[in-house]
Amino acid sequence: MRVEPVAVDYSMWKLLAWTGPVFFIGFFCMWGLLADNFPPMAANTSPQDMWQHYKDLRIPIMVGMSVCMVLGSCYMAFGAAVSRVMRRIEGPEGMLSNLEMMGATITYCPIVVACGIWLVTAMQIDVLSPDMVQTAYYVAWMIIDLAYMVTSWQIIAAAVVFLRDKREKKLVPSWVSWWGFVTVASFFPVSLIPFFKTGPFAFNGLFNFWVAFPTWYVWIVSMSFFIIKAVRRIEIEDGAAQHADSAVHGHAPMAAAR
Amino acid sequence: MRRWRPHAEQVVTVVTKPQAAPLRRLPGVEGIWVFVAADMAMFAILFVSFMQGRLAEPALFEASRQTLDVNFGGINTLILLTSSWLVALGVVAVRQGRAERLPALLAAALACGLAFMVSKAIEYGGKLAAGITMLTNDFYMFYFTLTGIHLFHVTAGNVVLVVLWVKARNGAFTQDNCVTLECGATYWHMVDLLWIMLFPLLYLLR
Amino acid sequence: MTTRFGGLHTIWLILMVATCATTWWLSKDSVSAQVGTVAIVLIAAFKIRFVLLHFMELRHAPTPWRLIFEAWVLIATAAILGFYLQTPTAG
Repeated sequence: MRVEPVAVDYSMWKLLAWTGPVFFIGFFCMWGLLADNFPPMAANTSPQDMWQHYKDLRIPIMVGMSVCMVLGSCYMAFGAAVSRVMRRIEGPEGMLSNLEMMGATITYCPIVVACGIWLVTAMQIDVLSPDMVQTAYYVAWMIIDLAYMVTSWQIIAAAVVFLRDKREKKLVPSWVSWWGFVTVASFFPVSLIPFFKTGPFAFNGLFNFWVAFPTWYVWIVSMSFFIIKAVRRIEIEDGAAQHADSAVHGHAPMAAAR
Repeated sequence: MRRWRPHAEQVVTVVTKPQAAPLRRLPGVEGIWVFVAADMAMFAILFVSFMQGRLAEPALFEASRQTLDVNFGGINTLILLTSSWLVALGVVAVRQGRAERLPALLAAALACGLAFMVSKAIEYGGKLAAGITMLTNDFYMFYFTLTGIHLFHVTAGNVVLVVLWVKARNGAFTQDNCVTLECGATYWHMVDLLWIMLFPLLYLLR
Repeated sequence: MTTRFGGLHTIWLILMVATCATTWWLSKDSVSAQVGTVAIVLIAAFKIRFVLLHFMELRHAPTPWRLIFEAWVLIATAAILGFYLQTPTAG
């Protein structure tokens, strides 16, 4: 039996690419708007006020966090789509497409753990002391923020590969890759969050929240946009290549069969 | 943004001929300028943050500022400016077909970069020995974090200079091929110019 | 030498002298605090502009790029001076 080359499942690839927008829109609405995290409750809030915050917003936080725990996984699925586009550039032996996929996958872990902690804090608010609420709130922030290096590896891997794209018009434009380096640079000061409850380096501060996270978000949104376009472009490239191939060998073009 | 790229590539070869009319182009690739602009925007936000903190506690900031040694800040500025100048000279030398001068210029620039780090280490050491840390008060929070983030940039810049120096010794840069050198130079100049504002901000505002 | 390097030596010399003036003269008590500080910030802004235009070669860059960086200098300096002039002097 002759071994046919396995056909690329472009529909599944496109579907996975679209999980990027599902992630960033879903997270923005459920974590940011519904659970009232724009701005997040400040690090220097008193335990009593933190308890009251969870008491008042118990149901929105429970809904928002439980939805985020589910939707957060889309970041992993999106990472798989990005990884496959990267493999088209660096070849099957490339390591960076693997690193990107692992980075995206593990980024989901702190998200799900932190959202789980915030969820349980809201669930159990009537039996928790204010001090415990404050501790739980901090635990979740430290976990979600200080995992930034995992995401940094993902971003660096993607940036390096997409910059190496030899296409005249790159699949992902250079500025997105360089914006990735900006994002990584903006993450490092996040390491300061355990030490400050006020000022720009608190987890709700001007730099460590309002600069670092929007910078990352711009990267996710622009990367999603260009990955969705890239899958379409690769499909057209493959179609053209097959067409040329079959014209040479005298077979009916595959594109027509589809 | 993409429109400028082919234009810039055309110009790289043109500019190297001294007689050619100087066309408008950015050194290096456009991406490095995206990075530099964004990084500078972040520093601008930190500068404003510092001024906000100073507005809230002027007496504390002034008293703490007076414990800093302006000699360190001033000498560090001279060091970085000189380093930046040496790199700029190197870029010009390569464009004029005298790439053999580049390794020495980069080595001197690197020496300046390392001197900056040593001087910062001594300065930090003095503060820590006096029991002052970034947790002492809001002024020192800004002092240690802003200079620390900048020092991080200097360290990265020194790594860049080492890479460029090794490449230059291997003759990697020529009139027609100096985009990587220009990117590294652009980054290093940014590190220099950020310090130019950071120094008066922390050490000299009265 | 100066023409061969496009005036870089002169630029460097100006930057060095300006740095010495701000560090070891304008910051001292012989100059009044407010005048000295405003002068120091303005000199820093001009030094940054020199680095941008001459070392980073923005004077030969496409105009939009040059404007972005010129705007950065203007906005950063204006913000710093704005806050400074609002802050009561401690001393």
